[in-house]
Amino acid sequence: MAEVHIIGQIIGATGFPQNSLFCKWGVHTGGAWRLLSGLKEGQTQVDMPQIGDMAYWSHPIDLHYTTKGLQGWPKLHLQVWHQDPFGRCQLYGYGYCHVPSNPGQHRLQCTTWRPLGSLQDQLAQIFVGGGPQLRTPDLIYSGADRYRLHTVAMGTVELELSVILRYFDRYGVET
Amino acid sequence: MTSNNPSAFLLMVNGQIEGANFPEYDDMYCKYCFVYGHDWAPTSGLEEGISQITSKGNGSQNLVWNFPIDITFKSTNPFGWPQIVVSVFGPDTFGNDVVRGYGAVHIPFTPGKHTKTIPMFVPESTSRLQKFTSWLMGRRPEFTDPKVVAQGEGREVTRVRSQGFVKLQFNVVTKDMKKLGYDTTST
Repeated sequence: MAEVHIIGQIIGATGFPQNSLFCKWGVHTGGAWRLLSGLKEGQTQVDMPQIGDMAYWSHPIDLHYTTKGLQGWPKLHLQVWHQDPFGRCQLYGYGYCHVPSNPGQHRLQCTTWRPLGSLQDQLAQIFVGGGPQLRTPDLIYSGADRYRLHTVAMGTVELELSVILRYFDRYGVET
Repeated sequence: MTSNNPSAFLLMVNGQIEGANFPEYDDMYCKYCFVYGHDWAPTSGLEEGISQITSKGNGSQNLVWNFPIDITFKSTNPFGWPQIVVSVFGPDTFGNDVVRGYGAVHIPFTPGKHTKTIPMFVPESTSRLQKFTSWLMGRRPEFTDPKVVAQGEGREVTRVRSQGFVKLQFNVVTKDMKKLGYDTTST
């Protein structure tokens, strides 16, 4: 069986309205994949940058998968949240990106979006904070039921991921 | 000296901690250490080190250490790939030694020359009172073990402030990774 190592970091985020951000991340795979070692979800630290606009997390990702098929290639999904000085958390964006399929070091920029509520929701959000969130997070990485959603663009999350493949050439897979 | 059926591969890293960019602070030194998984073992070289104290030159905002790194690892599995954890320390207004930043990055995976600039962050005090007393007493919040920065668990409860960057250079050589079936670059 072929093996895939995904090793890297969630570097940080930029382009969001305010700093003091953290990120909840997870990796979703198809049925043919099995996680041998590593954590497939987690939450980063909260960073308030002193210089510049980018919030830095430097959160390590180290995953070891074994697979029987190519379907369901791993997808990394993210939720960027903002923590205010009172400790309340507000959703700032959802985003996902596929893990690259060729071996090597990759720098990824994952764009994020936020659900837009009705006019009353938007007005309340300006004063009180909060805002609509998805009920089930799998909408972040699936395209099945999205047509009813109205969203607005938010910032970008930067990641650096390295992919190491093993035994893919034995099965005739070209990457 | 070729082995036909190697059981482990080698990762040889050399390079330097070139310097840092901290706009607000001066007179700093750094410490480095390596964090790696259970399948890895260092075979030669130093696993930790402390550098000299450096100051910003005239007209330049850069702090230069030029501090050498040289280590070789042996492993059977890429899981737990080594990371270098860098901690930077400097004096505060009263002359006490306080931490100015922690940062971590994986050793590059592909053979060759690599330059990495890593952000450095410090833990934040929980309340304003604690922030004031720690400034007064010279005892800032620190991580009890800097290796926490290289791990993913337990980070969700930490609040940090990023305040500088450290530049590292690496030269990486690997041995027997291809023989064991691992592809680190596209062919």
